[in-house]
Amino acid sequence: MFILETKPKEELEKLLKPGVCVIKCIGCREISLPEEKIEELLKNLELDAKDVLAVDYLCNADFTKSRLLKYKSEIDKCNSILVFSCGVGLQVLAGMLEEKSAVQGLNTIYISGRGLAPSDYDCDQCGECLLNLTGGICPVTQCSKGLLNGPCGGAKNGKCEISKDLDCAWEKIYKKLEASGRLDSYFRKMKVRDYSKALAKPKQPV
Amino acid sequence: MKLTELIKKKNFVVTSEIGPPKGWQVEHHLDEAKKYFAGIVDAVNVTDNQSSVMRFGSLATCHMLKDRGMEPVFQVTCRDRNRLALQSDILSAAGLGIENLLLLTGDHPKLGDHPGSKPVFDLDSVSLTHAVRQMESGVDLAGNKLDGDPPKFCKGAVVSPCAEPLEPQLMKMEKKINAGTEFFQTQAVYEPEKFARFMEKIKGWNVPVLVGIVILKSVGMAKFMNENVAGVFVPDPLIEELRKDKEKTKSGQTGVEIAARLIKEMKSMCQGVHIMPLGWDQHVPAILDAAGL
Amino acid sequence: MVEIKKTGLKPKEEIIELLEGKNKIFVIACNKCYKEYTDETNEELDQFLKLMQENGKNVVGTARIDFLCNGQTAGKKISEFKNMDEAETICVVSCGIGAQTTMATLDGKPVYTVSDSLSIADNATTPQAYHGICIFGQKCAACGQCYLNFTGGICPIVECSKSLINGPCGGAKNGKCEISKEHDCAWEKIYERLSKQNRVQDFIFLQVNVNDFSKPTVEQTNALIKAVRDKRDENFYGGLHPYSNKDSTTDLPITAFPEPETVAILLSQHTGRICEPLVKAGEKVKYGQKIGEAGAPVSAPVHSSVSGEVIAVEPLLHPALKKEVPAIIIKSDGKNTPHESIVPNDPEKLPAEKLLEIIREKGIVGLGGAMFPTHIKLKPPKPVDILMINGCECEPYLTADERVIIERTEKVFSGIHIIAKILQVKKVYFAVEDHSQKAIAKIRDYIMQNPMEEDLSLVELKTKYPQGAERMLIKKITGREVPRGGLPFEVGVVVSNVGTCAAVSDAVREGMPLVKRVITVAGENIGKPGNYEVKIGTSVKDIIAYCSGSLSGFDFISYVLKMGGPMMGVQQQTLDVPVIKGTSGIVVFKKADIEQDIARQCIQCGRCVDVCPMELSPLHFIFCAKQEKWENTAAYNVKDCIECGCCDYICPSKLPIVEIVKKAKQKIK
Repeated sequence: MFILETKPKEELEKLLKPGVCVIKCIGCREISLPEEKIEELLKNLELDAKDVLAVDYLCNADFTKSRLLKYKSEIDKCNSILVFSCGVGLQVLAGMLEEKSAVQGLNTIYISGRGLAPSDYDCDQCGECLLNLTGGICPVTQCSKGLLNGPCGGAKNGKCEISKDLDCAWEKIYKKLEASGRLDSYFRKMKVRDYSKALAKPKQPV
Repeated sequence: MKLTELIKKKNFVVTSEIGPPKGWQVEHHLDEAKKYFAGIVDAVNVTDNQSSVMRFGSLATCHMLKDRGMEPVFQVTCRDRNRLALQSDILSAAGLGIENLLLLTGDHPKLGDHPGSKPVFDLDSVSLTHAVRQMESGVDLAGNKLDGDPPKFCKGAVVSPCAEPLEPQLMKMEKKINAGTEFFQTQAVYEPEKFARFMEKIKGWNVPVLVGIVILKSVGMAKFMNENVAGVFVPDPLIEELRKDKEKTKSGQTGVEIAARLIKEMKSMCQGVHIMPLGWDQHVPAILDAAGL
Repeated sequence: MVEIKKTGLKPKEEIIELLEGKNKIFVIACNKCYKEYTDETNEELDQFLKLMQENGKNVVGTARIDFLCNGQTAGKKISEFKNMDEAETICVVSCGIGAQTTMATLDGKPVYTVSDSLSIADNATTPQAYHGICIFGQKCAACGQCYLNFTGGICPIVECSKSLINGPCGGAKNGKCEISKEHDCAWEKIYERLSKQNRVQDFIFLQVNVNDFSKPTVEQTNALIKAVRDKRDENFYGGLHPYSNKDSTTDLPITAFPEPETVAILLSQHTGRICEPLVKAGEKVKYGQKIGEAGAPVSAPVHSSVSGEVIAVEPLLHPALKKEVPAIIIKSDGKNTPHESIVPNDPEKLPAEKLLEIIREKGIVGLGGAMFPTHIKLKPPKPVDILMINGCECEPYLTADERVIIERTEKVFSGIHIIAKILQVKKVYFAVEDHSQKAIAKIRDYIMQNPMEEDLSLVELKTKYPQGAERMLIKKITGREVPRGGLPFEVGVVVSNVGTCAAVSDAVREGMPLVKRVITVAGENIGKPGNYEVKIGTSVKDIIAYCSGSLSGFDFISYVLKMGGPMMGVQQQTLDVPVIKGTSGIVVFKKADIEQDIARQCIQCGRCVDVCPMELSPLHFIFCAKQEKWENTAAYNVKDCIECGCCDYICPSKLPIVEIVKKAKQKIK
């Protein structure tokens, strides 16, 4: 899932021409949408939050097409469109409004999970799942360096060198394997990631 | 000596390039370079894992060329190093007395002999140029002060004058200039008219351009480049010329003639020529001779 | 739509090596996400089972679970499998998240994954993509530093194979990327878009872009995940936070709605047997006179809400049942002459049996919407120890209950006391959502100044829909879980709505039957929104005419009218329906604003599973309906659905799930 944060006012000011139409995608509001920050930003940009067009699932091209028809008059007369959505939503909209400049008001941040609300686990889709060797703890996503062959020397008190908020994945893996008597399995193979597997192309739209 | 100073001094410069071997014994290559390039061309580019094929290092080769009295141009790509490694190597180059850099994005590793490697592209040609300029001002990319005197380089970049469409190339070229690029080498040019139009478009930018020349070795090579190499187009009459006399083409004579003719035609339009012999180093002197350089 | 293949079976050799010497295998497979829900096969699972068979492995059982990545629902399901005990090895067919969830749930057992998760992006440096819930090709790498503003809305991070952010490399040929002739050069597309918008110059003079890979930091990410999770998990599993839209009426005091000229008293305003009319056309009736009653125990009588003359007993469309039901039409004489049966009582002097009799006689039903006869609810088949007062008005727009708490506090508490006395419980919880701060303050003050016999605790709950559902409240406050298909008394709890408490007080203390109630009228084109005390039987037409100023502004082409709240309320097709005892509000929307876009295929995104407070998998209902296999819905516990509408609300394919559920419930009756 992803989480969004507002862009700084200064960045947007430079891009917006007077006559702004604001579109807010509320499809993923339940997961995350920084609505209070958006309101604050609109206030700072001297835009009226009341005029915001709230639509859901901007990422759905069919819906967006019908929304653009519904709000045609607002969009026709505006000079810039300020969009609050994830990166997908804006790309769909911008693809349909080639002549207009659509300005993204948010930064999209990936935070684990796929489809559902954020979970404690993450998957990097590396295409060569290592969980069997590591006791179900993923070294690709949980080790800050994505190390596959054991820990680096950077952990202190079980915490990663990059943040005290982050457990050392390899210490967890070691403990888990030790407890379940499977310490041999992770010594079994030397692993080198094959990044070409991460290059798999998605199927084309039908 | 910096290429830009050479250009000022000589009005027209000639450069060529060598690709380090896939092994550690470079002596033979250096001897060849000395034989065909020393005193003949003004500077020699050293490619950096070209085509994403792992090879002997560019930086070490540059150093060895310098030892042998040649002026190296250190090619640096962003494919396989992050910003730390890139800046570190560039500082090392300064320490070895290397003055000319050619800063490129680099081919994707998928194209080379290690397709499973991680494509880095932490920086790109523009941000790398920017990073070098930062270092020249005494700080690194992150703004941290460098010890001692800042390094001084002549920063080059590449451009494809015959690319279709050309506009995105021009856009990036302008960005490179803004970021500090001081000279450009081009992709191979076989169409002087197109090159002329390109030079006309960039006239106001006042940046020296070295036109790229690749010696045509065969009909197959010309066709392959037309099919697969970005920004390169060999027109039909040239392919016909290569086809006409197979023996002459095989000996390299046709390629030399075409290259010399192209240089003659474009000489007045630009500030130099960059010959990419792709292994036919021995023909470089003949080309320059025939082109009257 | 794009179907995303997210996983593939590991190479055969690797699986065989992995399971060398291992037997008695139990397989857990995820039902997969992000694909069109068309059939119930699982290709990968079948492949794996075939491989096991070929290699003489003994598979002791298989289980398929929806969204194995959802730790809460999947974890519960995993722990319910019985024949897992005899298994020695557990294999998971799922993406990496599902595998990790399973491995964490079955901590003490060896669990192996036999799948590899496949990248769904085509960019090596950014393996995550497709963050939009609807899958239509566009992608986002969630880089945390969106560049779309400078690139005309085409993402260079995802679409450029090198993720270049300062312009093209020289590698493109004929508009195609150097790594593949299938792949368009992103920067050529960007250039085209920018030149169309005259923005090339802006881009050239833009500062040099340098990617900041440190974003977001681990601390940031963890804090964000926690914040989102906390909000999602507040009080109960699932649910959501629709815009409350309560501002227009929350501060408006209850006002009496103008006296109607005629009222239509439906003979079915409760769960149970329909009433028989006790009056005929032409008869005179008084205010509060009983005019309909059924002999059955599960039923509640109806009373006249005016004094006047019965002009007809005829069928009339029922606003909730959506079919015609007999109604008594009464022309008011405007005098409200009270009926002789309206006599006050002192609850302290009456035994529980007598109080129950009064509550029955006065036609009290649950005012929350379900209209369950209160006298039945208050006589549970087994003793209860907790009374819970439901002041959680979780439906958007509605503020009637909040106003009742604020303005009729004493009545509400008097009702609570009577109910507690009947049930003989000492422990009372009064649950209110934190958006009603004024109501909370009022209750707190009241308790301070009026010590009660009962042990009453005020519980302030974080606002979340459907908080007001009994099951959610009981679980949150008492930790007790009402069994599937069961009623609250089974875990020793009775839940009563605040409006019902006030009505009980009126019935006992004043002898007043249930002939009026407070409703919220709000929404589009409602010039006079408010909380009105309305006579039961008042026509919705009168209410719209009064609150909109005239009837001319309203039509069913431009507007949608719901009786109840926007989430669970019933959409009406005509204004000729009367207010009934269970009507909590009338809300009007512009049709264009809420009109459902064309329903599309289910993409198995899992959002409905994520929001279902009953922990069902609503997506299966859609598939059963499509195939007309209604009987299959029973296996997915369709009867447990409380029709709260969360799945409808969240569905990115706009599928009418509640409508399907209602139909399924009828079909399998």
